[in-house]
Amino acid sequence: MADLKVQIIEALNLKHLKPEDIGDDQPLFVEGLGLDSIDALELIVLLQQKHNTKIANAQDGPTIFKSVRTMAQYIQDHKSS
Amino acid sequence: MKAYIKGIGNISPQQTWGYNNFLDPPLEYHRNDLMAVEPDYSQWINPQQLRRMSRVIKMGVTSALMALKDAELEKPDAIITGTGYGCVQDTTSFLTKITDFNEQALNPTPFIQSTHNTIGSQIALLLQCHGYNQTYVHGAFSFEHALLDALMSLQENSAQSILVGGVDELTQISHAIHTRFDKYRREVKSTLTLFDAAEAGTVAGEGAAYFVLSGKDDTQTKACIHAVDTLFQPVQETLLAWIESFVRDRINIPFEDIDLVLLGKSGDEKADKQIDLMAKTYFPGASLGVYKHLCGEHSVSSSFALALATEILLSQHIPEPVIHKAVSRPIRNVLIYNPYFYQHHSLIFLTECHDIK
Repeated sequence: MADLKVQIIEALNLKHLKPEDIGDDQPLFVEGLGLDSIDALELIVLLQQKHNTKIANAQDGPTIFKSVRTMAQYIQDHKSS
Repeated sequence: MKAYIKGIGNISPQQTWGYNNFLDPPLEYHRNDLMAVEPDYSQWINPQQLRRMSRVIKMGVTSALMALKDAELEKPDAIITGTGYGCVQDTTSFLTKITDFNEQALNPTPFIQSTHNTIGSQIALLLQCHGYNQTYVHGAFSFEHALLDALMSLQENSAQSILVGGVDELTQISHAIHTRFDKYRREVKSTLTLFDAAEAGTVAGEGAAYFVLSGKDDTQTKACIHAVDTLFQPVQETLLAWIESFVRDRINIPFEDIDLVLLGKSGDEKADKQIDLMAKTYFPGASLGVYKHLCGEHSVSSSFALALATEILLSQHIPEPVIHKAVSRPIRNVLIYNPYFYQHHSLIFLTECHDIK
């Protein structure tokens, strides 16, 4: 998960944050890190470019991108597919 | 047609913001790519908004905010931007990723920001300015045409205050492409002695300069812009006739009343010879200044020249590195002649605060 946090910081240019500033279960959007819809698109691209993982159903987005832990779990479950 | 300059924000390869003495000392470069001296952007832009902005957007937005602060104005009625290449770094990044990832999984941010009008729109978003917003992408006439639009808008009274500027960034790719066309000198000993060596080529530059313009003269006025004109790829005779006609018919003053001519000499021997000859013929009694060794050659270097001319009119002092020929007399009327690779030619005439003396 530490690597994923580094990738998120790099992809979203969150220069004011360190990996340890992002909690494993901290919400990524709105009240958590305060990410927005463009960031959601960047995270989808990150999954594709860095982890060769696509999101088959757009409706699953809010669940997958709830936190770093849910993202990591999704990558783990779908990496080989 | 008159526009009064109320505020200036200028980010360039020189220390043109937050300075104590303008161009004193000047920054000297020993290379052919002059990058802007950038401020701490977090002092001007919210970090949440800053993180998505590329360098050219940060330069443009910050210089616009500097100009507004200088003019003590919160929000202009209109925003007009000139840019030759726009957000070229984002465009490059977007296009590179198309090939790198085989047209799959493209990052949205560089794509969204790759359009030329992103700078003007980001300024509008930040200021919540819903007025007229225009971007001119007319090569090396971009700033001049933005300025012309501003002058006409003020004349028509369609706006009371206008934020107008020129922005262009120098990137590795754009520099490499121009280098392949032999536009730049291979070796530069010192930019401050650029005109001493008789060589071909110039130095590349970049910058962002915004101006707050108003149709009303008051105590806030720094200088008054009277006229701007452009000419593309003329033969030498046409060029000289155009300069003559601009002074005689457009601004309608005797040649000898022009106190200072800022010449866009670039260090390129062939072009500079023609420029020197023109200055000697038409303006033998005027002070002559140069500026492209300070800001580098780029599509909107005339915006740097306009900021420089305003500073000179205000201080009545020509900074040492600008002096090409000094004549001891008050500086009231300034003509900027800005050739770009001796293909695009533009003239801007400005005076001190009040009417032409």
